Amino acid sequence: MKCVTIGTVRSNQKVADQIFLATIEVPDIARQCLPGQFVNIYFSGSVKLFPRPFSIASVSGKSILILYKVIGSQTTLMSRWQIGHQVKLLGPLGNNFTISENKSIKYVLLAGGVGAAPLMFFRDELVKENIKPHFFIGAKTKSELPIIEDDKSDLIVTTDDGSKGLKGTVIEHFEDFLKNIRHSISLNVCGPEPMMSALKNISFPDNVTINVSLEKTIACGLGLCQGCAVKNTTDKFKGHYALVCKDGPVFNLKDIEFDE
Amino acid sequence: MNDLSIDLGKGFKIANPVLTASGTFGYGDEASEVVDVNRFGGIVTKSLSLEPRIGNPPPRIVETPSGMINSIGLANIGLEAFLREKAPYLSQLSCKVIINIAARTEEEFCDVIKTLDNEKWISAYEINVSCPNVKEGGIAFGTDPDVLRRLTQKLRDKTDRYLIIKLSPNVTNIAQMAEIVQECNADAVSMINTLYGAAIDIHTRKPKINTVIGGLSGPAIKPAALAHIIKARKVIDIPIIGIGGISNGEDVIEFMLAGASAVQLGTVNFYNPCAIYEILNFIEQYMTQYNMTSLQEIIGQMLV
Repeated sequence: MKCVTIGTVRSNQKVADQIFLATIEVPDIARQCLPGQFVNIYFSGSVKLFPRPFSIASVSGKSILILYKVIGSQTTLMSRWQIGHQVKLLGPLGNNFTISENKSIKYVLLAGGVGAAPLMFFRDELVKENIKPHFFIGAKTKSELPIIEDDKSDLIVTTDDGSKGLKGTVIEHFEDFLKNIRHSISLNVCGPEPMMSALKNISFPDNVTINVSLEKTIACGLGLCQGCAVKNTTDKFKGHYALVCKDGPVFNLKDIEFDE
Repeated sequence: MNDLSIDLGKGFKIANPVLTASGTFGYGDEASEVVDVNRFGGIVTKSLSLEPRIGNPPPRIVETPSGMINSIGLANIGLEAFLREKAPYLSQLSCKVIINIAARTEEEFCDVIKTLDNEKWISAYEINVSCPNVKEGGIAFGTDPDVLRRLTQKLRDKTDRYLIIKLSPNVTNIAQMAEIVQECNADAVSMINTLYGAAIDIHTRKPKINTVIGGLSGPAIKPAALAHIIKARKVIDIPIIGIGGISNGEDVIEFMLAGASAVQLGTVNFYNPCAIYEILNFIEQYMTQYNMTSLQEIIGQMLV
Protein backbone atom coordinates (compact mmCIF):
# COMPACT_ATOMS: atom_id res chain seq x y z
CA MET A 1 0.00 0.00 0.00
CA LYS A 2 1.38 3.38 -0.97
CA CYS A 3 2.16 5.85 1.77
CA VAL A 4 3.62 9.25 2.51
CA THR A 5 6.65 8.68 4.69
CA ILE A 6 9.98 10.12 5.79
CA GLY A 7 13.24 8.51 4.68
CA THR A 8 16.81 9.09 5.77
CA VAL A 9 19.69 9.51 3.33
CA ARG A 10 22.36 6.88 4.10
CA SER A 11 24.67 7.62 1.19
CA ASN A 12 24.74 9.94 -1.80
CA GLN A 13 27.59 9.35 -4.21
CA LYS A 14 28.53 10.64 -7.61
CA VAL A 15 28.84 7.68 -9.99
CA ALA A 16 29.33 9.48 -13.32
CA ASP A 17 29.26 12.97 -14.76
CA GLN A 18 26.16 14.61 -13.18
CA ILE A 19 24.85 11.18 -12.14
CA PHE A 20 24.41 10.26 -8.48
CA LEU A 21 23.33 7.19 -6.55
CA ALA A 22 21.53 7.84 -3.27
CA THR A 23 20.60 5.28 -0.64
CA ILE A 24 17.50 6.27 1.32
CA GLU A 25 16.44 4.26 4.34
CA VAL A 26 12.68 4.04 4.09
CA PRO A 27 11.37 0.69 5.37
CA ASP A 28 7.70 1.30 4.49
CA ILE A 29 8.60 1.53 0.83
CA ALA A 30 11.61 -0.83 0.71
CA ARG A 31 9.69 -3.81 2.01
CA GLN A 32 6.98 -3.72 -0.64
CA CYS A 33 8.27 -2.07 -3.81
CA LEU A 34 8.62 -3.89 -7.13
CA PRO A 35 11.00 -3.28 -10.05
CA GLY A 36 9.60 -0.56 -12.31
CA GLN A 37 7.81 1.23 -9.49
CA PHE A 38 8.78 4.75 -8.52
CA VAL A 39 8.66 7.19 -5.64
CA ASN A 40 7.73 10.86 -5.58
CA ILE A 41 10.23 12.96 -3.68
CA TYR A 42 8.86 16.12 -2.08
CA PHE A 43 10.84 19.33 -1.73
CA SER A 44 10.02 21.97 0.83
CA GLY A 45 10.45 25.06 -1.36
CA SER A 46 7.46 27.20 -2.24
CA VAL A 47 8.48 28.26 -5.74
CA LYS A 48 8.58 24.80 -7.35
CA LEU A 49 5.69 22.85 -5.97
CA PHE A 50 5.63 19.48 -7.70
CA PRO A 51 7.28 16.43 -6.22
CA ARG A 52 9.73 14.71 -8.58
CA PRO A 53 9.31 11.09 -9.63
CA PHE A 54 12.27 8.65 -9.47
CA SER A 55 12.36 4.98 -10.38
CA ILE A 56 13.60 2.74 -7.61
CA ALA A 57 17.03 1.46 -8.74
CA SER A 58 17.38 -1.26 -6.15
CA VAL A 59 16.45 -2.36 -2.65
CA SER A 60 19.01 -3.04 0.02
CA GLY A 61 17.56 -4.10 3.36
CA LYS A 62 15.40 -1.26 4.64
CA SER A 63 16.71 1.13 1.98
CA ILE A 64 15.90 2.00 -1.60
CA LEU A 65 18.47 3.21 -4.09
CA ILE A 66 17.77 6.19 -6.34
CA LEU A 67 19.90 6.76 -9.43
CA TYR A 68 19.48 10.32 -10.65
CA LYS A 69 20.96 12.82 -13.03
CA VAL A 70 21.38 16.46 -12.06
CA ILE A 71 19.33 18.38 -14.62
CA GLY A 72 17.66 21.20 -12.69
CA SER A 73 17.23 22.91 -9.36
CA GLN A 74 15.63 19.99 -7.50
CA THR A 75 18.19 17.40 -8.58
CA THR A 76 20.90 19.95 -7.70
CA LEU A 77 19.42 20.07 -4.20
CA MET A 78 19.50 16.28 -4.11
CA SER A 79 23.16 16.20 -5.12
CA ARG A 80 23.89 18.20 -1.97
CA TRP A 81 22.06 15.82 0.37
CA GLN A 82 24.24 14.87 3.31
CA ILE A 83 24.10 11.57 5.16
CA GLY A 84 21.25 11.76 7.69
CA HIS A 85 19.18 14.20 5.58
CA GLN A 86 15.44 13.57 5.95
CA VAL A 87 13.42 13.14 2.76
CA LYS A 88 9.64 13.08 2.41
CA LEU A 89 8.50 10.49 -0.09
CA LEU A 90 5.33 9.01 -1.55
CA GLY A 91 5.46 5.44 -2.75
CA PRO A 92 5.73 2.87 -4.01
CA LEU A 93 3.85 4.14 -7.06
CA GLY A 94 2.83 2.66 -10.38
CA ASN A 95 3.05 -0.78 -11.92
CA ASN A 96 6.10 -2.96 -12.53
CA PHE A 97 8.18 -5.02 -14.94
CA THR A 98 7.14 -8.66 -14.83
CA ILE A 99 8.79 -12.05 -15.15
CA SER A 100 6.90 -14.51 -17.31
CA GLU A 101 5.93 -18.06 -16.33
CA ASN A 102 7.48 -19.13 -19.60
CA LYS A 103 11.01 -20.25 -18.71
CA SER A 104 12.30 -20.19 -22.29
CA ILE A 105 12.03 -16.40 -22.59
CA LYS A 106 15.25 -14.42 -22.71
CA TYR A 107 15.33 -11.12 -20.86
CA VAL A 108 17.04 -8.11 -22.33
CA LEU A 109 17.31 -4.79 -20.53
CA LEU A 110 17.90 -1.69 -22.65
CA ALA A 111 18.86 1.52 -20.88
CA GLY A 112 19.61 5.00 -22.11
CA GLY A 113 21.84 6.71 -19.54
CA VAL A 114 20.19 7.20 -16.19
CA GLY A 115 17.23 5.19 -17.54
CA ALA A 116 19.22 2.24 -16.19
CA ALA A 117 17.58 2.86 -12.79
CA PRO A 118 14.44 0.70 -12.94
CA LEU A 119 16.26 -1.92 -15.01
CA MET A 120 18.92 -2.38 -12.32
CA PHE A 121 16.13 -3.26 -9.91
CA PHE A 122 14.56 -5.60 -12.48
CA ARG A 123 17.96 -7.23 -13.05
CA ASP A 124 18.18 -7.94 -9.30
CA GLU A 125 14.75 -9.56 -9.41
CA LEU A 126 15.70 -11.70 -12.42
CA VAL A 127 18.90 -12.82 -10.71
CA LYS A 128 16.82 -13.97 -7.72
CA GLU A 129 14.97 -16.22 -10.17
CA ASN A 130 18.30 -17.51 -11.51
CA ILE A 131 17.92 -15.61 -14.77
CA LYS A 132 20.92 -13.72 -16.08
CA PRO A 133 19.69 -10.97 -18.40
CA HIS A 134 21.51 -9.18 -21.20
CA PHE A 135 21.84 -5.58 -20.08
CA PHE A 136 22.46 -3.02 -22.84
CA ILE A 137 23.40 0.38 -21.55
CA GLY A 138 24.14 3.30 -23.80
CA ALA A 139 25.07 6.95 -23.49
CA LYS A 140 26.50 9.69 -25.69
CA THR A 141 29.89 9.38 -24.10
CA LYS A 142 31.79 7.48 -21.38
CA SER A 143 31.28 10.08 -18.65
CA GLU A 144 27.49 9.76 -18.93
CA LEU A 145 27.38 6.03 -18.25
CA PRO A 146 25.91 5.26 -14.82
CA ILE A 147 27.35 1.72 -14.81
CA ILE A 148 30.27 0.25 -16.74
CA GLU A 149 30.58 -3.17 -15.17
CA ASP A 150 28.08 -5.61 -13.74
CA ASP A 151 28.65 -9.19 -12.61
CA LYS A 152 24.93 -9.93 -12.33
CA SER A 153 24.17 -9.52 -16.04
CA ASP A 154 25.76 -9.86 -19.44
CA LEU A 155 26.49 -6.17 -19.77
CA ILE A 156 26.88 -4.57 -23.19
CA VAL A 157 28.07 -0.98 -22.95
CA THR A 158 27.70 1.37 -25.91
CA THR A 159 28.62 5.00 -26.48
CA ASP A 160 27.74 7.17 -29.45
CA ASP A 161 31.33 8.40 -29.69
CA GLY A 162 33.00 5.06 -28.93
CA SER A 163 34.74 6.40 -25.82
CA LYS A 164 33.66 3.27 -23.91
CA GLY A 165 32.38 -0.10 -25.07
CA LEU A 166 30.87 -0.49 -28.51
CA LYS A 167 30.58 2.57 -30.74
CA GLY A 168 27.05 3.48 -31.80
CA THR A 169 23.63 3.65 -30.26
CA VAL A 170 22.31 1.09 -27.86
CA ILE A 171 19.42 0.37 -30.23
CA GLU A 172 21.75 -0.39 -33.17
CA HIS A 173 23.69 -2.88 -31.07
CA PHE A 174 20.55 -4.47 -29.76
CA GLU A 175 19.39 -4.97 -33.37
CA ASP A 176 22.71 -6.68 -34.16
CA PHE A 177 22.31 -8.90 -31.13
CA LEU A 178 18.79 -9.82 -32.19
CA LYS A 179 19.97 -11.23 -35.55
CA ASN A 180 21.36 -14.32 -33.81
CA ILE A 181 18.46 -14.93 -31.42
CA ARG A 182 15.61 -17.32 -32.08
CA HIS A 183 14.12 -17.30 -28.57
CA SER A 184 11.22 -15.23 -27.40
CA ILE A 185 12.60 -11.98 -26.04
CA SER A 186 11.25 -9.81 -23.27
CA LEU A 187 12.81 -6.44 -23.99
CA ASN A 188 12.52 -4.00 -21.08
CA VAL A 189 13.43 -0.43 -21.82
CA CYS A 190 13.93 2.87 -20.06
CA GLY A 191 15.55 5.95 -21.52
CA PRO A 192 14.82 9.34 -22.98
CA GLU A 193 11.57 9.59 -24.93
CA PRO A 194 13.29 10.03 -28.34
CA MET A 195 15.02 6.69 -27.76
CA MET A 196 11.75 4.95 -27.00
CA SER A 197 9.96 6.58 -29.86
CA ALA A 198 12.83 5.46 -32.16
CA LEU A 199 12.25 1.89 -30.95
CA LYS A 200 8.59 2.28 -31.82
CA ASN A 201 9.55 2.96 -35.43
CA ILE A 202 11.57 -0.24 -35.82
CA SER A 203 9.65 -3.34 -36.87
CA PHE A 204 10.82 -6.10 -34.61
CA PRO A 205 10.03 -9.77 -35.21
CA ASP A 206 7.06 -11.29 -33.41
CA ASN A 207 9.25 -13.00 -30.83
CA VAL A 208 10.12 -9.64 -29.24
CA THR A 209 7.82 -8.11 -26.61
CA ILE A 210 8.80 -4.58 -25.62
CA ASN A 211 7.94 -3.03 -22.27
CA VAL A 212 8.90 0.58 -21.71
CA SER A 213 9.01 2.67 -18.56
CA LEU A 214 7.78 6.17 -19.42
CA GLU A 215 8.43 9.49 -17.77
CA LYS A 216 6.12 12.50 -17.75
CA THR A 217 5.71 15.59 -15.63
CA ILE A 218 3.86 14.25 -12.61
CA ALA A 219 2.12 16.58 -10.16
CA CYS A 220 0.57 14.11 -7.74
CA GLY A 221 1.49 10.48 -8.47
CA LEU A 222 -1.95 9.29 -7.38
CA GLY A 223 -4.09 9.84 -10.46
CA LEU A 224 -5.68 12.95 -8.97
CA CYS A 225 -4.51 15.58 -11.42
CA GLN A 226 -4.67 13.54 -14.65
CA GLY A 227 -1.67 15.51 -15.86
CA CYS A 228 0.59 12.62 -16.93
CA ALA A 229 -1.67 11.48 -19.74
CA VAL A 230 -0.39 9.23 -22.50
CA LYS A 231 -2.27 7.74 -25.44
CA ASN A 232 -2.75 4.00 -25.15
CA THR A 233 -4.53 2.18 -27.97
CA THR A 234 -5.78 -0.86 -26.04
CA ASP A 235 -9.48 -1.34 -25.26
CA LYS A 236 -8.87 -0.73 -21.57
CA PHE A 237 -8.12 2.91 -22.37
CA LYS A 238 -10.85 3.45 -24.94
CA GLY A 239 -12.32 6.92 -24.47
CA HIS A 240 -9.68 8.13 -22.05
CA TYR A 241 -5.96 8.58 -21.69
CA ALA A 242 -3.73 6.27 -19.69
CA LEU A 243 -1.97 7.88 -16.74
CA VAL A 244 1.75 7.25 -16.40
CA CYS A 245 1.58 7.49 -12.59
CA LYS A 246 -1.23 5.02 -12.08
CA ASP A 247 -1.62 2.87 -15.19
CA GLY A 248 2.15 2.89 -15.85
CA PRO A 249 4.95 3.80 -15.83
CA VAL A 250 5.50 0.43 -17.58
CA PHE A 251 3.56 -0.06 -20.79
CA ASN A 252 3.77 -2.39 -23.76
CA LEU A 253 5.41 -0.22 -26.42
CA LYS A 254 3.03 -1.32 -29.16
CA ASP A 255 0.11 0.18 -27.23
CA ILE A 256 1.67 3.61 -26.79
CA GLU A 257 1.41 6.58 -29.13
CA PHE A 258 4.02 9.23 -28.45
CA ASP A 259 3.27 12.94 -28.76
CA GLU A 260 4.38 14.65 -31.92
CA MET B 1 -12.58 20.00 21.75
CA ASN B 2 -13.03 23.12 19.65
CA ASP B 3 -16.07 23.43 17.43
CA LEU B 4 -14.82 23.53 13.87
CA SER B 5 -18.22 22.89 12.32
CA ILE B 6 -19.67 25.36 9.88
CA ASP B 7 -23.34 25.88 9.08
CA LEU B 8 -23.59 26.77 5.41
CA GLY B 9 -27.34 27.36 5.68
CA LYS B 10 -30.35 25.44 4.41
CA GLY B 11 -29.43 22.55 6.70
CA PHE B 12 -26.03 22.01 5.13
CA LYS B 13 -23.57 21.65 7.98
CA ILE B 14 -19.98 20.48 7.62
CA ALA B 15 -17.76 19.12 10.41
CA ASN B 16 -14.95 21.49 9.50
CA PRO B 17 -14.52 24.22 6.87
CA VAL B 18 -12.03 22.31 4.70
CA LEU B 19 -13.30 20.76 1.47
CA THR B 20 -11.37 19.44 -1.52
CA ALA B 21 -11.44 21.40 -4.77
CA SER B 22 -12.88 19.78 -7.85
CA GLY B 23 -10.37 18.18 -10.18
CA THR B 24 -7.65 17.92 -7.55
CA PHE B 25 -8.92 14.96 -5.59
CA GLY B 26 -10.44 12.66 -8.20
CA TYR B 27 -13.48 10.91 -6.77
CA GLY B 28 -11.90 10.50 -3.34
CA ASP B 29 -11.00 6.84 -3.73
CA GLU B 30 -7.66 7.51 -5.47
CA ALA B 31 -6.22 9.30 -2.44
CA SER B 32 -7.81 7.11 0.22
CA GLU B 33 -4.66 5.00 0.63
CA VAL B 34 -2.61 7.98 1.79
CA VAL B 35 -5.14 10.22 3.52
CA ASP B 36 -8.27 9.67 5.59
CA VAL B 37 -10.82 11.26 3.30
CA ASN B 38 -13.33 11.60 6.14
CA ARG B 39 -11.10 14.14 7.87
CA PHE B 40 -12.28 16.70 5.31
CA GLY B 41 -15.48 18.60 5.97
CA GLY B 42 -16.45 17.35 2.57
CA ILE B 43 -15.11 16.43 -0.80
CA VAL B 44 -15.97 18.02 -4.10
CA THR B 45 -15.64 15.49 -6.89
CA LYS B 46 -13.99 15.93 -10.24
CA SER B 47 -16.25 17.71 -12.74
CA LEU B 48 -18.89 15.32 -13.96
CA SER B 49 -20.55 15.60 -17.35
CA LEU B 50 -23.42 13.68 -18.91
CA GLU B 51 -21.18 11.77 -21.32
CA PRO B 52 -17.58 10.67 -20.71
CA ARG B 53 -14.92 13.13 -21.86
CA ILE B 54 -11.48 12.11 -23.01
CA GLY B 55 -10.02 15.51 -22.09
CA ASN B 56 -7.23 17.41 -23.78
CA PRO B 57 -4.13 15.82 -25.31
CA PRO B 58 -0.84 16.12 -23.42
CA PRO B 59 1.04 18.09 -22.28
CA ARG B 60 -1.67 18.93 -19.77
CA ILE B 61 0.22 20.41 -16.84
CA VAL B 62 3.23 22.63 -16.28
CA GLU B 63 4.87 23.85 -13.11
CA THR B 64 5.10 27.66 -12.86
CA PRO B 65 6.44 29.87 -10.07
CA SER B 66 4.50 28.92 -6.90
CA GLY B 67 1.82 27.41 -9.06
CA MET B 68 0.86 25.32 -12.03
CA ILE B 69 -1.11 25.61 -15.23
CA ASN B 70 -3.45 22.83 -16.24
CA SER B 71 -5.51 22.05 -19.29
CA ILE B 72 -6.99 18.67 -18.45
CA GLY B 73 -10.14 19.51 -20.40
CA LEU B 74 -12.56 18.09 -17.83
CA ALA B 75 -11.59 14.51 -18.60
CA ASN B 76 -14.12 12.39 -16.71
CA ILE B 77 -15.92 9.08 -16.83
CA GLY B 78 -19.41 10.47 -17.44
CA LEU B 79 -22.59 10.16 -15.40
CA GLU B 80 -23.39 6.51 -16.07
CA ALA B 81 -19.95 5.16 -15.13
CA PHE B 82 -19.83 7.55 -12.18
CA LEU B 83 -22.98 6.06 -10.68
CA ARG B 84 -21.78 2.52 -11.36
CA GLU B 85 -18.12 2.82 -10.31
CA LYS B 86 -17.78 5.75 -7.93
CA ALA B 87 -21.12 6.12 -6.12
CA PRO B 88 -20.61 2.97 -3.97
CA TYR B 89 -17.42 4.44 -2.48
CA LEU B 90 -18.67 8.02 -2.18
CA SER B 91 -22.02 7.09 -0.64
CA GLN B 92 -20.42 5.38 2.35
CA LEU B 93 -18.22 8.34 3.33
CA SER B 94 -19.06 10.08 6.58
CA CYS B 95 -17.92 13.47 5.24
CA LYS B 96 -20.19 15.41 2.93
CA VAL B 97 -20.04 14.78 -0.80
CA ILE B 98 -20.50 17.64 -3.24
CA ILE B 99 -20.77 16.80 -6.91
CA ASN B 100 -19.18 19.27 -9.31
CA ILE B 101 -21.02 19.36 -12.61
CA ALA B 102 -19.75 20.61 -15.96
CA ALA B 103 -21.80 20.84 -19.11
CA ARG B 104 -21.84 22.37 -22.55
CA THR B 105 -25.51 23.38 -22.50
CA GLU B 106 -28.15 24.33 -19.94
CA GLU B 107 -30.02 21.17 -20.86
CA GLU B 108 -27.00 19.00 -20.11
CA PHE B 109 -26.70 20.54 -16.63
CA CYS B 110 -30.40 19.83 -16.05
CA ASP B 111 -30.12 16.24 -17.29
CA VAL B 112 -27.22 15.49 -14.92
CA ILE B 113 -29.04 17.06 -11.97
CA LYS B 114 -32.25 15.22 -12.75
CA THR B 115 -30.43 11.88 -12.40
CA LEU B 116 -28.31 12.89 -9.40
CA ASP B 117 -31.34 14.18 -7.48
CA ASN B 118 -32.27 10.51 -6.96
CA GLU B 119 -29.00 9.87 -5.11
CA LYS B 120 -29.76 10.60 -1.48
CA TRP B 121 -26.13 10.55 -0.31
CA ILE B 122 -25.23 13.69 -2.27
CA SER B 123 -25.22 16.83 -0.12
CA ALA B 124 -24.77 19.56 -2.70
CA TYR B 125 -23.98 20.45 -6.29
CA GLU B 126 -21.23 22.75 -7.36
CA ILE B 127 -21.78 24.12 -10.84
CA ASN B 128 -18.70 24.66 -12.97
CA VAL B 129 -19.61 27.72 -14.99
CA SER B 130 -16.08 28.92 -15.25
CA CYS B 131 -13.56 26.31 -16.30
CA PRO B 132 -11.46 28.11 -18.89
CA ASN B 133 -10.00 24.96 -20.41
CA VAL B 134 -12.75 23.62 -22.56
CA LYS B 135 -12.86 25.02 -26.04
CA GLU B 136 -16.57 24.61 -26.46
CA GLY B 137 -19.11 25.90 -23.97
CA GLY B 138 -18.33 26.35 -20.32
CA ILE B 139 -16.67 29.70 -20.62
CA ALA B 140 -19.80 31.57 -21.69
CA PHE B 141 -21.91 30.64 -18.64
CA GLY B 142 -19.69 32.25 -16.05
CA THR B 143 -18.48 35.28 -17.94
CA ASP B 144 -21.70 36.70 -19.39
CA PRO B 145 -24.07 38.13 -16.73
CA ASP B 146 -27.22 37.30 -18.67
CA VAL B 147 -26.14 33.76 -19.45
CA LEU B 148 -25.14 33.19 -15.83
CA ARG B 149 -28.51 34.51 -14.61
CA ARG B 150 -30.48 32.30 -16.95
CA LEU B 151 -28.52 29.20 -16.04
CA THR B 152 -28.65 29.77 -12.31
CA GLN B 153 -32.39 30.41 -12.44
CA LYS B 154 -32.96 27.29 -14.48
CA LEU B 155 -30.94 25.11 -12.11
CA ARG B 156 -32.63 26.66 -9.08
CA ASP B 157 -36.01 25.79 -10.54
CA LYS B 158 -34.80 22.27 -11.24
CA THR B 159 -33.50 21.21 -7.83
CA ASP B 160 -34.05 21.87 -4.14
CA ARG B 161 -30.65 20.52 -3.29
CA TYR B 162 -27.91 22.84 -1.93
CA LEU B 163 -26.63 24.69 -4.99
CA ILE B 164 -23.17 26.25 -5.23
CA ILE B 165 -22.08 28.25 -8.25
CA LYS B 166 -18.31 28.23 -8.81
CA LEU B 167 -17.27 31.65 -10.09
CA SER B 168 -14.60 32.44 -12.64
CA PRO B 169 -12.09 35.19 -11.85
CA ASN B 170 -11.63 35.85 -15.55
CA VAL B 171 -14.33 38.54 -15.64
CA THR B 172 -14.36 42.30 -15.32
CA ASN B 173 -16.60 42.44 -12.25
CA ILE B 174 -16.79 39.32 -10.12
CA ALA B 175 -18.97 41.04 -7.52
CA GLN B 176 -21.67 41.51 -10.16
CA MET B 177 -21.55 37.78 -10.94
CA ALA B 178 -21.82 36.90 -7.25
CA GLU B 179 -24.81 39.23 -6.91
CA ILE B 180 -26.57 37.58 -9.84
CA VAL B 181 -26.07 34.16 -8.27
CA GLN B 182 -27.57 35.39 -5.00
CA GLU B 183 -30.51 37.04 -6.76
CA CYS B 184 -31.27 33.71 -8.43
CA ASN B 185 -31.46 32.05 -5.00
CA ALA B 186 -28.47 29.80 -5.30
CA ASP B 187 -27.27 28.78 -1.84
CA ALA B 188 -23.59 29.70 -2.05
CA VAL B 189 -20.77 30.72 -4.37
CA SER B 190 -17.36 29.10 -4.50
CA MET B 191 -14.50 31.21 -5.73
CA ILE B 192 -12.16 31.44 -7.44
CA ASN B 193 -11.69 28.99 -10.26
CA THR B 194 -8.32 29.12 -12.03
CA LEU B 195 -7.00 32.30 -13.60
CA TYR B 196 -5.87 32.31 -17.21
CA GLY B 197 -2.23 31.32 -17.46
CA ALA B 198 0.35 30.51 -20.13
CA ALA B 199 3.98 29.39 -20.32
CA ILE B 200 6.28 29.05 -23.33
CA ASP B 201 9.40 26.92 -23.85
CA ILE B 202 12.00 29.40 -25.10
CA HIS B 203 14.05 26.70 -26.85
CA THR B 204 11.30 25.00 -28.84
CA ARG B 205 9.17 28.19 -28.86
CA LYS B 206 6.17 25.99 -28.18
CA PRO B 207 3.55 26.56 -25.49
CA LYS B 208 4.14 24.35 -22.49
CA ILE B 209 0.58 23.07 -22.50
CA ASN B 210 -1.47 21.86 -25.42
CA THR B 211 -4.22 24.48 -25.30
CA VAL B 212 -1.69 27.35 -25.12
CA ILE B 213 -3.72 29.05 -22.39
CA GLY B 214 -4.78 27.04 -19.35
CA GLY B 215 -5.84 27.50 -15.76
CA LEU B 216 -3.36 28.86 -13.24
CA SER B 217 -3.63 27.59 -9.68
CA GLY B 218 -1.54 27.24 -6.55
CA PRO B 219 -0.15 29.70 -3.99
CA ALA B 220 0.64 32.14 -6.83
CA ILE B 221 -3.07 33.01 -7.09
CA LYS B 222 -3.82 33.30 -3.36
CA PRO B 223 -3.72 37.11 -3.14
CA ALA B 224 -5.95 37.37 -6.23
CA ALA B 225 -8.43 34.94 -4.70
CA LEU B 226 -8.55 36.91 -1.44
CA ALA B 227 -9.17 40.16 -3.32
CA HIS B 228 -12.03 38.63 -5.28
CA ILE B 229 -13.61 37.21 -2.11
CA ILE B 230 -13.39 40.57 -0.35
CA LYS B 231 -15.12 42.21 -3.33
CA ALA B 232 -17.87 39.62 -3.41
CA ARG B 233 -18.41 39.70 0.37
CA LYS B 234 -19.33 43.38 0.12
CA VAL B 235 -22.33 42.68 -2.10
CA ILE B 236 -23.66 39.23 -1.10
CA ASP B 237 -24.56 37.57 2.16
CA ILE B 238 -24.91 33.94 1.03
CA PRO B 239 -21.89 31.81 2.05
CA ILE B 240 -18.68 32.08 0.07
CA ILE B 241 -16.52 29.00 -0.25
CA GLY B 242 -12.98 30.26 -0.73
CA ILE B 243 -10.57 28.64 -3.20
CA GLY B 244 -7.17 29.69 -4.49
CA GLY B 245 -3.74 28.52 -3.47
CA ILE B 246 -4.56 27.52 0.09
CA SER B 247 -1.71 25.41 1.41
CA ASN B 248 -1.79 25.58 5.21
CA GLY B 249 -3.85 26.46 8.25
CA GLU B 250 -2.83 30.10 8.21
CA ASP B 251 -4.25 30.41 4.71
CA VAL B 252 -7.58 28.92 5.81
CA ILE B 253 -7.93 31.47 8.60
CA GLU B 254 -6.96 34.27 6.21
CA PHE B 255 -9.67 33.23 3.73
CA MET B 256 -12.25 33.04 6.51
CA LEU B 257 -11.32 36.50 7.78
CA ALA B 258 -11.79 37.77 4.21
CA GLY B 259 -15.32 36.42 4.23
CA ALA B 260 -15.20 32.74 3.31
CA SER B 261 -17.39 30.40 5.36
CA ALA B 262 -15.49 27.37 4.13
CA VAL B 263 -12.55 26.69 1.84
CA GLN B 264 -11.37 24.16 -0.72
CA LEU B 265 -7.90 22.66 -1.02
CA GLY B 266 -6.76 22.29 -4.61
CA THR B 267 -3.22 22.23 -5.90
CA VAL B 268 -1.85 21.47 -2.42
CA ASN B 269 -3.35 17.98 -2.71
CA PHE B 270 -0.65 17.28 -5.30
CA TYR B 271 2.40 18.42 -3.35
CA ASN B 272 1.19 17.72 0.17
CA PRO B 273 -1.58 15.11 0.08
CA CYS B 274 -1.72 15.02 3.89
CA ALA B 275 -2.11 18.81 4.29
CA ILE B 276 -5.56 18.33 5.84
CA TYR B 277 -4.05 16.93 9.06
CA GLU B 278 -1.68 19.90 9.50
CA ILE B 279 -4.48 22.36 8.69
CA LEU B 280 -6.93 20.95 11.22
CA ASN B 281 -4.22 20.90 13.90
CA PHE B 282 -3.40 24.52 13.18
CA ILE B 283 -7.04 25.60 13.34
CA GLU B 284 -7.48 23.86 16.71
CA GLN B 285 -4.41 25.64 18.07
CA TYR B 286 -5.52 28.97 16.65
CA MET B 287 -8.95 28.67 18.25
CA THR B 288 -7.40 27.84 21.60
CA GLN B 289 -4.93 30.69 21.29
CA TYR B 290 -7.70 33.19 20.63
CA ASN B 291 -10.21 31.65 23.00
CA MET B 292 -12.78 30.90 20.33
CA THR B 293 -15.70 28.56 20.96
CA SER B 294 -16.89 28.36 17.37
CA LEU B 295 -14.87 28.82 14.22
CA GLN B 296 -17.84 30.62 12.66
CA GLU B 297 -16.94 33.65 14.79
CA ILE B 298 -14.16 34.70 12.45
CA ILE B 299 -15.99 34.60 9.13
CA GLY B 300 -15.64 38.03 7.52
CA GLN B 301 -14.00 39.49 10.63
CA MET B 302 -11.09 41.18 8.89
CA LEU B 303 -10.58 44.51 10.65
CA VAL B 304 -10.30 47.38 8.23
